[in-house]
Amino acid sequence: MAELLKDNEKVTGSEKTAVNKNREPVKKVRRPLLEIKNITKKYGENVAVDNVDLTIYEGEIFALLGSSGCGKSTLLRMIAGFENPTSGSIILDGEDIIGVPPYKRHLNMMFQSYALFPHMTVAQNIAFGLKQEKLPKKVIEERVNQMLKLVHMEEYVNRKPHQLSGGQRQRVALARSLAKQPKLLLLDEPMGALDKKLREQMRLELVNIIESVGVTCIMVTHDQEEAMTMAERIAIMNRGEFIQVGSPRQIYENPNCCFAAEFIGSVNMFESTLVTSGPEVGSVIRCKDLEHDIHLDIDVDLDDGMEVTVAIRPEKIYLEKTSPVDENGQPLKDNYTTGVVTEIAYMGDISIYHVKLNSGKVVISTLPNVDRFNKGLPTWDDKVFLSWDPESCVTLTF
Amino acid sequence: MQNKTYKINRRQKKLSGWHKYAVIALPYLWMSLFFFVPFLIILKISFAESIDDSVPPYTSLISFDSEDLKLNFSAYLGNYAAIFDDSTYLYSYLKSIKIAFISTLLCLLIGYPMAWAIATSKSSLRNALLMLVIMPSWTSFLIRIYAWMGILKPEGYLNSFLQWLNIIDEPLQLLHTDLAVYIGIVYAYLPFMILPLYTAIVRVDYTIIEAGYDLGCRPAKCFFKLFVPQTYSGIIAGSMLVFIPAVGEYIIPELLGGPGANLIGRTIWDEYFMTRDWPLAAALATIMLLILVVPIVLFYKTQRKEITQGAK
Repeated sequence: MAELLKDNEKVTGSEKTAVNKNREPVKKVRRPLLEIKNITKKYGENVAVDNVDLTIYEGEIFALLGSSGCGKSTLLRMIAGFENPTSGSIILDGEDIIGVPPYKRHLNMMFQSYALFPHMTVAQNIAFGLKQEKLPKKVIEERVNQMLKLVHMEEYVNRKPHQLSGGQRQRVALARSLAKQPKLLLLDEPMGALDKKLREQMRLELVNIIESVGVTCIMVTHDQEEAMTMAERIAIMNRGEFIQVGSPRQIYENPNCCFAAEFIGSVNMFESTLVTSGPEVGSVIRCKDLEHDIHLDIDVDLDDGMEVTVAIRPEKIYLEKTSPVDENGQPLKDNYTTGVVTEIAYMGDISIYHVKLNSGKVVISTLPNVDRFNKGLPTWDDKVFLSWDPESCVTLTF
Repeated sequence: MQNKTYKINRRQKKLSGWHKYAVIALPYLWMSLFFFVPFLIILKISFAESIDDSVPPYTSLISFDSEDLKLNFSAYLGNYAAIFDDSTYLYSYLKSIKIAFISTLLCLLIGYPMAWAIATSKSSLRNALLMLVIMPSWTSFLIRIYAWMGILKPEGYLNSFLQWLNIIDEPLQLLHTDLAVYIGIVYAYLPFMILPLYTAIVRVDYTIIEAGYDLGCRPAKCFFKLFVPQTYSGIIAGSMLVFIPAVGEYIIPELLGGPGANLIGRTIWDEYFMTRDWPLAAALATIMLLILVVPIVLFYKTQRKEITQGAK
């Protein structure tokens, strides 16, 4: 049995390196580092976090994504130890840490506003945590220098926080939270205090630093782009519950409900009825807004006549002035409809088309501008055909 | 239209410039009239010689010799020399500083928890608590100190109460002791400590304390390493507001202190009005001012240094 497991690990291990090149989620059998079980937090009658289960694996970057008040910060603060859960358990590296005060937990947090100590220099800030461990002076000095190098702040050792720019402060905060070599790093809105340009630049740099150290990381953010670019796995939170947990690609391509689909990116939602489905016919879905049925190759495995919502991403809807054909040159029988272009928004890299269907519903479609201007794609008031591939449709039941 | 708004803006700017100077000039005028000019007069007197039975009882520094048509200028340093020669004056200074220092420390120790309690209380309660701190100052200072005499005297409320509790048999000698002076000063100046402390504590950033916990710092250490440094400005402002007037305090030691408590305020008073040696009294006052100014200047210098430090 043990051998079998080992073999299994080997296989998945090699799979990891192969897949990692494509920046896909790592599928290695990893050791769980943090296990959150049935955590609930109530403030009086308000339930901030509602019976949440979550396992964080060693070495991953995990993002809690949600709008303000969804409970993501409360969850993070419970992990850090600043809040006590009403019920449930948090197990860090095999040890139940409920009731353990924050200063005894082997994890560190980078605060939203960085919370640097204003009366201490950069070096003193970074050394603070190490001094609490009563490490020898030499070790502290060495570690501080190592951290300064890691975040490229060697020149600013003697500055005080108010003499640093926002980006520099963030680096110091990161260095301070990594100095103690925590098992788990918590990031509370890591880019919240930076302006947009710097934010985009710091995202990948932060990921690089975290990966080079190899620390497991949980971040809280309301910025979906930030979560998608930085995290390996994302949990979408709403009203204290997890809506969906998965890799950015899984969540974008295969949202499990309307909330998840609409939360990440933009999407066209078609309220429809399932006409029939089966292993041979695939699935036929009828929407009153569309002139033709949606015909999927797969069996959605739901009862006929059921109300479903079909979600299609804007970039997966093709716009053409002529009636669409399949790869054999035959005109499409389904998976298309017609409409009139009402708005075009030029975004630089892409253009966003608003197409009004006969039913009055507006469908959004995006086209790369490379195609728009080279191929003479439709313009205002053009009658257009909208079509999509069956595999672009996601059928949602709630 | 654009032209019009431009004109209005310009006028506003001009007006505000004029107002600005007027607003600044007023306190300057006030300070120089009622503080700086009197100080110069005192300074002048301190360099004069004392003459008995004359009005004013001191020589003038500048005299005009009508025969030689010469303007004579003479500054007499004997008053300062006399102060440094006589150890009673030195003792008087040291005792004043000691009493002011200990009172400031006591105010800080009592005021800090009070200010903290007010700062962390419910916002509806906060104003009421602040009011309670300020309210005693609505009664005359003198009356409040007299009230303490009533409390502390041998047959006063405190002694009666302690006797009623059978803790003591004989009344304690409280009035006219240093203890009474400390009680009086701490009582009178506590609000001046609490108010700046309160404003500093209210602004404390608690995420910094949380960051301390997160980095493994225990609560008690966090308080001294991270909480108190955030309130330094309040501690310093409060301490100055207590220490400076406490050094020169006259009424409290006079009413509550013992006959041996020759504090500098009392000594200056005596020199002015008992021995009528105005120049000596003026010199005493000038030295007291120097004693108070030096720490203030040093403090500002170190503070400025701290701000510019590291900005290489």
